[in-house]
Amino acid sequence: MSAPVLPLNSRGKLASSLPAEQLAEISALFEFRRKGYSLDAPFYTDATIFKMDMEAIFGQHWIFAGSVAELPEPGDYITVDYGPYSLIVLRNDDGGVNVLHNVCRHRGARVLTEAAGATGNLVCGYHSWTYSPEGNLIHASAPGEAKFDKNCFALKRAHGREVAGLIFVCIADEPPTDFDETSRIFEPYLAPHDLSKTKIAYQQNIIEEGNWKLVMENNRECYHCDGHPELACSLFPTWGLTEGLIPAHLEEVWDRNKEAQSSLEERCRRYGLPYEVVEELDTRIAGIRISRESLDGEGESFSADGRRLSKKLLGDLPDFRLGRCSMHLQPNSWFHFQSDHVITFGVFPINEHQSLVRTTWLVADDAVEGVDYDLEKLTYTWKQTNLQDKAFVELCQTGAGSPAYEPGPYMKSEYQVEAFINWYVQRVQEHLA
Amino acid sequence: MTELLTETIVQEPHRIRGLEMPWNRVMGSTEGPASAARALGPWHPQEFMAECVEIVPEVGGMMTFVFRRCDGAPLAFRAGQYVNVAFPVNGEDQDPADRSYSLSSAPTKPWTFDITVKRDPTGLVSPWVHQNIKPGTVLEMLGPVGAFHLPDADRRARYLLLAAGAGITPIMSMVRTIHSLPGQADVVVLYHGAADEGFAFNKELAYIASVDSRIRVFYSLGDRAKPADWEGLSGRLTAAMLNEVAPDANGRQVYACGPEGYLNTATELLGNVGVDDTSIHMEFFTGDRQTILEYQAELALAVDIAEEIAEEIADSAEDYYEGQPAAFGLYEPGYDAEGTLQATGMPLETVDPDAPEASDDGSDAGAEVSTPDASSFETVGTGSLTLSFMRTGINVRVDPTEHILGPAQRAGVRIGANCKEGMCGSCKVVKLSGEVEMNHQGGIRAREIDAGKFLPCCSTARTDMVIDA
Ligand code: FES
Ligand code: FES
Ligand SMILES: [Fe+2]
Repeated sequence: MSAPVLPLNSRGKLASSLPAEQLAEISALFEFRRKGYSLDAPFYTDATIFKMDMEAIFGQHWIFAGSVAELPEPGDYITVDYGPYSLIVLRNDDGGVNVLHNVCRHRGARVLTEAAGATGNLVCGYHSWTYSPEGNLIHASAPGEAKFDKNCFALKRAHGREVAGLIFVCIADEPPTDFDETSRIFEPYLAPHDLSKTKIAYQQNIIEEGNWKLVMENNRECYHCDGHPELACSLFPTWGLTEGLIPAHLEEVWDRNKEAQSSLEERCRRYGLPYEVVEELDTRIAGIRISRESLDGEGESFSADGRRLSKKLLGDLPDFRLGRCSMHLQPNSWFHFQSDHVITFGVFPINEHQSLVRTTWLVADDAVEGVDYDLEKLTYTWKQTNLQDKAFVELCQTGAGSPAYEPGPYMKSEYQVEAFINWYVQRVQEHLA
Repeated sequence: MTELLTETIVQEPHRIRGLEMPWNRVMGSTEGPASAARALGPWHPQEFMAECVEIVPEVGGMMTFVFRRCDGAPLAFRAGQYVNVAFPVNGEDQDPADRSYSLSSAPTKPWTFDITVKRDPTGLVSPWVHQNIKPGTVLEMLGPVGAFHLPDADRRARYLLLAAGAGITPIMSMVRTIHSLPGQADVVVLYHGAADEGFAFNKELAYIASVDSRIRVFYSLGDRAKPADWEGLSGRLTAAMLNEVAPDANGRQVYACGPEGYLNTATELLGNVGVDDTSIHMEFFTGDRQTILEYQAELALAVDIAEEIAEEIADSAEDYYEGQPAAFGLYEPGYDAEGTLQATGMPLETVDPDAPEASDDGSDAGAEVSTPDASSFETVGTGSLTLSFMRTGINVRVDPTEHILGPAQRAGVRIGANCKEGMCGSCKVVKLSGEVEMNHQGGIRAREIDAGKFLPCCSTARTDMVIDA
């Protein structure tokens, strides 16, 4: 037997390159994680653990990149960055997506520098190496180069797929297959909203000074929802609570919530829309929580009175009072699907203490701004809420940097945070094993 | 036999998505044959003469009068609109009485059109109409008028049509129109009448409802005594009744027509069941002073437009068919600056190949063509064709066999170029007029070509050209 040859693309990978004792140290941190408590500081502040996250989570799993509305036509592309990775997600002529590493095979320049656009072939801005949409190098001026073989320098490819209009990418050579099952869970919830017939009303990019896990943790609980006055108008602040956990000041809201939920469920049954909660945050590889839940007020959308924010229904939906179909998908996204608009949230880690949070508001593609919707009103609630959440995340990030920080207990209403962290720890440990 | 038929399982038809009026595509098209069909596009009111060709008695004291235009043209209108008719009630030499009547026929059968008039014994005009209008009667009309009508295209045609009494006439036009069109729709009609023999069109409605699964019709007998065998609903409009016939009312567009009291109740109830104000469309058959004034204003505007157009026709019959009058936008709010077609998401497929769209960078290429005068430019090179480079301000002569890039660059036109093989796209420019033959290799997208762009490194000119470079 010949000596094992390291595959080319494994060069520079952390697990194989970390000194043994550092690796042992990291493994120990994961192993001795105290259940039910927030993570130790290095998980939020340490550059080596961030690298491990990029490798074990973002380098292994299906991650959310964007939606069909961002690249509706052949040649449309977006570029997305996850830590050190930069990917081009491009709509090809067959209607599928090509995912390419945005790293020129000449000297490594970013091939596409815009966040979004449309292109035919891909031309590197440095020395104009030109790649086909499939990533093949089709032109490089090579005066006097006798032995230059273009076939050896294609852009590296990654996996891409689309489910119910959402686009996911996977950098791993062999993507986890469990995502198929997860997509079968969420597809029927989302399909009636028909993302392929939506357009971007607004996209917001904010950089939060916080580790990507803090962003996701914050999203998994409504313990802090008192801090969201705008959101509390339409989202029941009892979210995540169960009978017996309701504080006195929320009892009235709880009753209203129950009533709204049962009338929503009746509507869903009438129209054949699924609404049951599926909660598999740490019981499967592609962790998910999805449900259709009622909204307060008129129950139509995220507005102060719960009224619709866009007058055009999505897809073939028959009714505006469909609450919100909400999905949380690990590792980096969550979504609210209403009858009149959809909001997608993607978390794109930058480094251990910074994350890009991209929020995109989608409306029916025949809705006309100023006629069918008012952009300010459409985006108001979640723009405010995002800013508040950014502040919360940043408070925690600063805290984790203090020598006085020590993990604290997740409360009962924060069980989903614990589940997310448990999922994360399991995935990294699997990778280290 | 009947038994057998009712038990036969009939499969649902396969339909295109949404509803689109037949004139919708024609309106945006400039192709020759389509422009003839444009006469069917209801884009402005006109004054015209019409001849009665048939009268059809209806139940409920109503009478339908079928007309055709004396000039033989079809009457273009939208389902729900009305015409204003001059009735010579006091004889031919006296001032006529003008009255507006909803069109009850479908615009998809445009060669004749119907108005349905309910006889009001105390009125001045309707008894006269019933008495005097016969086949052969010619009347002066103005129309179509009115903003109460179905949209030209609707991807999710989900309607709740509410009618009380004679308010059924525009609703009938809508039902007939939808029934005559292919496409997905979901229509609930709730028709209130005072007496069971008072539901005009009931046989046709029953027929349509029985053969068209998209359309359901409910009758309610107001608050009068009901005959023993009455199978419809009873009582005035209530939230419970709305909920019963259309539990998803809040996701529908509502068109309601009837007496003012009925419509006021409807507005309130619809609000209660969650229908958005902007989804409620109403036509008042009787109204308070305010409503009457609004109708007068609508009519006055229609008269202005009709006159303006008549003048335009007199000036130039050709121009008349080329453009739409400025007042059109005002009259028909469904058409915004971007055009109704874009707004509805059912874009036209025909575009004028000679008018390049605005290019991606926002410069309005098409409109700029004539601004600088290419005839004053210096001309260089030899060849049978002339390329005018508008930004550089030079004319370059080329042969039809040579790629455009070389001669252009030699003449000092600044065009970046890298691969010179049609792959990299770096030489992309916009052509303002003329034809090229291009042999590219992926450096340009079909939709960029549609927008008038081309790659001069791999293109030869087929005609003289004007280029934005
Ligand atoms: S780095 Fe891309 S062409 Fe040189
Ligand atoms: S120079 Fe590359 S496409 Fe023309
Ligand atoms: Fe929050």
